[in-house]
Amino acid sequence: MVRMTTTTAPPATSAVAFERVSKAYDGVPAVDTLTLDLRPGETVALLGPNGAGKSTTLDLLLGLRRPDSGTVRVFGGDPRAAITAGRVGAMLQSGGLMGEVTVRELVGLACALHPRPHPVDDVLAHADLTRIAGRDVGRLSGGQEQRVRFALATAGANDLIVLDEPTTGMDVTSRQAFWATMREQADRGRAVLFATHYLEEADAIADRVLVLYRGRLLADGTAAEIKARAGARRITFDLAGIDEAVTERLRSLPFLAGLDVSGRTVRLRSGDADATVHALYGLGIYPHNLEVAGLGLEQAFVAITEAEEAKTA
Amino acid sequence: MTHLLAARGLIKLEITRALRNRKFLFFSVIYPSVLFVIVSGTQGAGQVPETGLSVPAFMMVSMASFGALTAVLMGNSERIAKERESGWVRQLRLTALPGRGYVLAKTASAAVVGLPSVVVVFAVAAVVKGVRFEAWQWLALTGAIWAGSLCFAALGVAIGYLVSGDAVRPVTMIVYFGLSLLGGLWMPATTFPGWLRDVASWLPTHAYAALGQAIELGEAPHAGDVALLVAYFVLFTGGAAWLYRKDTMEA
Repeated sequence: MVRMTTTTAPPATSAVAFERVSKAYDGVPAVDTLTLDLRPGETVALLGPNGAGKSTTLDLLLGLRRPDSGTVRVFGGDPRAAITAGRVGAMLQSGGLMGEVTVRELVGLACALHPRPHPVDDVLAHADLTRIAGRDVGRLSGGQEQRVRFALATAGANDLIVLDEPTTGMDVTSRQAFWATMREQADRGRAVLFATHYLEEADAIADRVLVLYRGRLLADGTAAEIKARAGARRITFDLAGIDEAVTERLRSLPFLAGLDVSGRTVRLRSGDADATVHALYGLGIYPHNLEVAGLGLEQAFVAITEAEEAKTA
Repeated sequence: MTHLLAARGLIKLEITRALRNRKFLFFSVIYPSVLFVIVSGTQGAGQVPETGLSVPAFMMVSMASFGALTAVLMGNSERIAKERESGWVRQLRLTALPGRGYVLAKTASAAVVGLPSVVVVFAVAAVVKGVRFEAWQWLALTGAIWAGSLCFAALGVAIGYLVSGDAVRPVTMIVYFGLSLLGGLWMPATTFPGWLRDVASWLPTHAYAALGQAIELGEAPHAGDVALLVAYFVLFTGGAAWLYRKDTMEA
């Protein structure tokens, strides 16, 4: 863990608090003794590859599933109570839409159901749906459906907005527009929690990033901290005459997250490739065929997990 | 009651949607009236044996009951199964609507949409076949048939939560036609062979139509029929509630 989590009960002001929450499907753990704490007004990314337990975590948070053990609290109480009080707006991938009605009618319904609704026209405008308000919900593209789900999640004044991979199916322009709207929401003091497997989204939007892997919380910190931790860059080069002394000098490189030497080939993982390469030359080492490549998120997780497992071994 | 209040937005939209659906309107409103004209026409204007009622009067109650049954059963079962599958039920669980609000809204809107099917059959019977009753009887008939349809609304909810995917339509159809035919909604159960009459007398549809027939004879609905209908209502509601809870746990 980058940041230590306290074992004492979180303060009552938490927007979301998970306390050693576990959930398994047919004996396979999806979420494993997860403890996390989300404060009001924070924008937090829940980052992890497919199957990391992101969707299950959100389901537990929203009271759609019950944990096998541990407690989930939303605004200090039961998740369902927070939702029926209209304090939480959520947009899930698995959420379907009512058929045979228009976009306006459906968004109007979400407003009618909310205890503190926004005007329907405002909600439509914010979700960029005004142009297609009269269209049948059954005749929308994937991106348009996502915008309708977003409108349903923001139909009233919520204190927490939960989004599961919200930009799936959106093109680059809609994606940017979406996050601009989301930042607006966050600026109004709402807590925003979103699940994503795009490191860039987490990087650009979130104040804080929670890294989930195989149902466990691996890291909790700012995007920069996480990337440094994962060694987000891979540096590969060839080097003649590698011996113990050279390997030892390589180990002293700054931001080094992993080192692997096989024959003439050296593979490094670094949290800051510029600084590491700069230091490499500084050590008087002159590599051949130097390559710097971004590490995929999946690989970054493997890197963090390996480090975690090595620590516990 | 507070749940119904919270769900009024959904009830309104469900009704709007149902009234827009021509196929649904045909089967719940037009179809029973047409069937009434055909059946009461072919069976003459005489008496239905052992009932003391004329064929048109007898068939009017049967077809009004049938229409209300169609509206609430079909409206609930298929829609709920489909909407569970599409994830709309899950989406609704993310709104401030209380959990039971969805089922209540479905049932309430089905009941509202079921009312025209009763009234239209009555109007056709009065105009085309000259069926005449006292004002209180018309009102009581409407009320009894409407209230009794709740039993089948609950059955629709139970089927909607029990069956999913492609199976829901055939299952609904079998239940729907089975109950209608065997309960004597399409032809008087008095014309059935003895053993079939015994079966019919235990079906909710038979008790349902009997409510209206008692009113037509100027009597109060028989306690036995009411008790049977209430027993089915409790059974269907209990089943629906159990299935609903099971579904919610794994939504």
